[in-house]
Amino acid sequence: MEQGAESASPGIDAGKADAVSRVRGLLFRRMLVGIKDGRFFLGNFHCLDKQGNIILQDTVEYRSTRRSSPSPMEQRCLGLILIPASCRTSCHVDTSIEERLSLLSLQDHHDQTS
Amino acid sequence: MAAAEASIFSGSGDNSVWTDVSPLLQAACNGLQDGELIHGDNFNLYAAMSALEIMDPKMDSGMIGRYYSVDEAIDGGAAPIPISFDRTVDVQCTIDIMDHLLACEATWHKGHSLAQTVFSCIYLLRPERTTSHALLHSYSSVIRATCKAVISVVSDARTHEEEDLFTMMYGLNLNGEDEKCLSILNAVEETISRQLRACRALSARRKVLEDIEPLQNNPMLEEGYCRAILARLRFRKHFYHVLMCLKRPQGRGLQLARKHVASCISELKAIRELSGQHTACGGQTISEDRTTASGRQPVGFDASLNARLSAPTPPRSIKILSWSEAIEYFLKLLQDLDIISSCSLENSLDCVLHFVVQFQKSQPDLVARAHLQRLLLQDGKLFGREAIFSVISKAATLPEVVKNHDIEKMECVIQLGQLVINLLRILCANSAWQRRKLGKILQDWRVTYIQLELALRSKFGEPSGTPSGENICMNILKQLLVWVEEKVYWIASRFLMLGFELELYSTSEYGMVYWYIYVVSVKLVEKLHHRISISNRVKCRGKKKRVPGKDATRDIQFSPTVLFLQSHICLAEGLTMMLAALRNEKMILESPTPFNSDQERFFQHFELLQKAGIPDHNSYQSFEGSTKNASLSMLAMYNHFKDAQRIAKEVKSSFSDDPERLSELRRIEQVAEHNSVALSLLCRVGDALDSSLKLSFEFSHHPHFATAVVRRS
Repeated sequence: MEQGAESASPGIDAGKADAVSRVRGLLFRRMLVGIKDGRFFLGNFHCLDKQGNIILQDTVEYRSTRRSSPSPMEQRCLGLILIPASCRTSCHVDTSIEERLSLLSLQDHHDQTS
Repeated sequence: MAAAEASIFSGSGDNSVWTDVSPLLQAACNGLQDGELIHGDNFNLYAAMSALEIMDPKMDSGMIGRYYSVDEAIDGGAAPIPISFDRTVDVQCTIDIMDHLLACEATWHKGHSLAQTVFSCIYLLRPERTTSHALLHSYSSVIRATCKAVISVVSDARTHEEEDLFTMMYGLNLNGEDEKCLSILNAVEETISRQLRACRALSARRKVLEDIEPLQNNPMLEEGYCRAILARLRFRKHFYHVLMCLKRPQGRGLQLARKHVASCISELKAIRELSGQHTACGGQTISEDRTTASGRQPVGFDASLNARLSAPTPPRSIKILSWSEAIEYFLKLLQDLDIISSCSLENSLDCVLHFVVQFQKSQPDLVARAHLQRLLLQDGKLFGREAIFSVISKAATLPEVVKNHDIEKMECVIQLGQLVINLLRILCANSAWQRRKLGKILQDWRVTYIQLELALRSKFGEPSGTPSGENICMNILKQLLVWVEEKVYWIASRFLMLGFELELYSTSEYGMVYWYIYVVSVKLVEKLHHRISISNRVKCRGKKKRVPGKDATRDIQFSPTVLFLQSHICLAEGLTMMLAALRNEKMILESPTPFNSDQERFFQHFELLQKAGIPDHNSYQSFEGSTKNASLSMLAMYNHFKDAQRIAKEVKSSFSDDPERLSELRRIEQVAEHNSVALSLLCRVGDALDSSLKLSFEFSHHPHFATAVVRRS
C-alpha cells in the first residue's frame, strides 16, 4: 500500500495520536505481560518505545513449576525489567470494567478508520 | 492469554478486569516518531539502562532451561534414589557424590555462592528424599549442619564483604535437626565398621562372628569400598566436631578441637591414599580437573536449577575446584585452625597482636580468619573472658589503683576500648581490606588521643579533694596517652609494611617508604621505651632495698624488645640513605613520569598518615631535607647496616627461646650484610655503574626490607 509523505486521512492521524495519549494514560498502571517461554511478568507500566519494547517497574515474575499445566506457580521479585517486543506474546492492563469498555471502543474506532 | 490463565492473576478490586491492550499498544507504536518514547515524568534513560532484559541469558536468570524446577528434574530422573539397583554401582556413585560435595564445599569457602556449589546437589535440595539411603542421608545431613555452622561464624565476624557471595543463601533451607546428624552418622559408621570386620574375617578365613549383609556385591572390592567410605564419614564427623568445639564460648573447646583436627587430617590423608588404589575400580582416564577420586562425573548435580536462587541476575559460571585442590584446601584450613586452637588464653594484648600478625603471614583463608576473630572477641571481651578496659590497663601497665578511680567510665576511655576491639577485628581480615581499614582508623585513634589530652588538662585545672588522688589520676591518664601513641605508631608501621606484601610500591618509591618507616619506628620505639621504663620504675619502687647505682643503670638499659625494633630502625635508615644517595648521584635511572611529581606521589601514598598527623603534617619537607644531601662517600663513613648487624647479633641471646624472633633477626642480619657489601661495592665503582653493572632491589632475604643486588649486565 503506497502512501505519500503525509498520511492519507486526518482521521487516521487523530486515531494514532489518540492511541499514543491513551497509552500514556496507562502509565504506572499494573500491567501483565506474557512471554514466549510461558512466564508472566506483573509490574507497573513504565515505558514503551516505537519497536514495542516495554519497561516494567517493581516487577514480579510468575512461572510454572512443571511443563504440563495446571501446575503451581512460583514467583520472585525482579525490579526494573525490559521485555523485548519479540518475545512478548500477550499484554493486559488492570482496568475497571468501564475503562475496558472505553478502551475497546477506541480500538474499534481505530480499526474502522484504518 | 487464555481466560484460564488470566484468572490466576487477581485484579486490584471487585470491579477490575484484565484488558488486552496489545492492539492499542500496536496502534500507539505506529503513532510514535522514530526514537520517541512513551514515559512518565520520573523516567530516566540512564536508570532505564539498568533494567534486566528478559530472555537475555546474561541478565535473565529465570529463563526456562532443561527443567522447569527441581521437582521436574527429580521426576525426570536427575537424582535417583537409590542411585543404582546394582549395590556396587550405588556405592561407587555415592563415593563420587561425597567427593564432589567436598570439592563444592571448598569452592564455596573460596568465595563462591552456596547455590552454585554445595546446593547444586539435588539430593541436598530435597533432604526428605534420602531417608531410605543411609549413606547419602547421613552425609547430606552432616554437610548441611556443617555449612550452617560455617555461615554462622563468618556472619558473626562480619569481615566478609570482600568475599560477599559467601553467606547469601537466597532462600536455601539449611534448617534441620543438627543434633541428630551426628547420631545418624555414628550409626552408619558403626554398620560399615562391622561390614569391614566381616569382610576382613572372611578374607583371613576366620569365622565370621556376626551375620551382616555386606556393603555391596563384589567381595573383591568390599574392603576397599568400606575403608573409603569410613574415611570420608569419619572426616565429616571430626570436622563437624572441630567446628562445634571452636564454637564453645571463652575458648573452652580449644584442646579438644586440636584432637579432632588431628583426626581430620589423618582421615583426609587416608582418603587420598586409598583413592590411589581406587582408580582401578572402574575409573576412567584421570584428568587433573576431576572433582572425584575416581574421575567419574557424579550423579545428581545441576547448578542451573538454582540459578534463580543465587542472585537477581544469572551467576557467572564458576569452576568447581578439583578434588586434589579441595583436599589441599582442607588440609591448609585444618592446619590454620590448629594454630588458632593453640593460642594461649592467658595472652596479653601485645602477645595477641603478635600472634595475629604471625598467623596472617601464612595467608589463611576466610573461614580460618573468622574463627580466629570469634575466639578473640566475644561479648566485647578478649577471649570472652577479660573486659577490654582491664586488657588495656595491663597493656599500658597502669597501676592497680586505676580501679578505684572512675577512669573506666570516662567517655574517651570507653571509646578507646571500642578502638581496641575494632583493631583486633581489622587485624583478622584479609591483608588488602586490613591495610585500607588500618589507614582509616588512624584518624579515630588520633581523635581519642586528643580527647584524653583534654581530659587530662581539665583534671589539672580541677580543684581537687585529695591532692594525691588527683595526682594518681593524672599519672594514669599520662600513661594511657603514652600507650595510645605507641599503638598509633604500631598501626602506622603495620600499614606501611603491608604495602610491601601487597606490592603497592614501585621501586622508585622505596626511598620515601623506608624513610617513613624509619620515622614512624623511631617514634614507636620512643613510646615503647618510655612505657617499659615507667613500668620498671614502678617495679623498683616496690622493692625494699634501693641501691641508687643499680637503678640508674637499669633506667638507661634498653629492653630486648626495644633493641629488636632498633635493629629494624637502623636497617630502614640505611636503606633510606642508600636509595637517596644513589638517586642524588644519578646511579638509579628513573624515567620521569609526566603525571605525578615526587611530592604528589608522597602525598598519595601517605595521605591517611598525614591526615592523622603521623608524624606531623609537613612530612614531605622533612623527607626532602634529610635526604637531599645524601651521598655515597658520606655513607662510607657512617654505615647504618653495620649498626643493624651489630644490634641484631647482640640481642639474639635474649630471644633464645623464641624461634620466630630469632629467624627474624637472622633475616635482618642477612639483609644488612648484603646491603653493606653492595654499598661498599657501589662506592668503589662510582660512574662505572651505568655501563657494565646493573643494580636492582630484591626481597630475597626479607619480605619488607629490600636487598641491593649488583649484577653484570
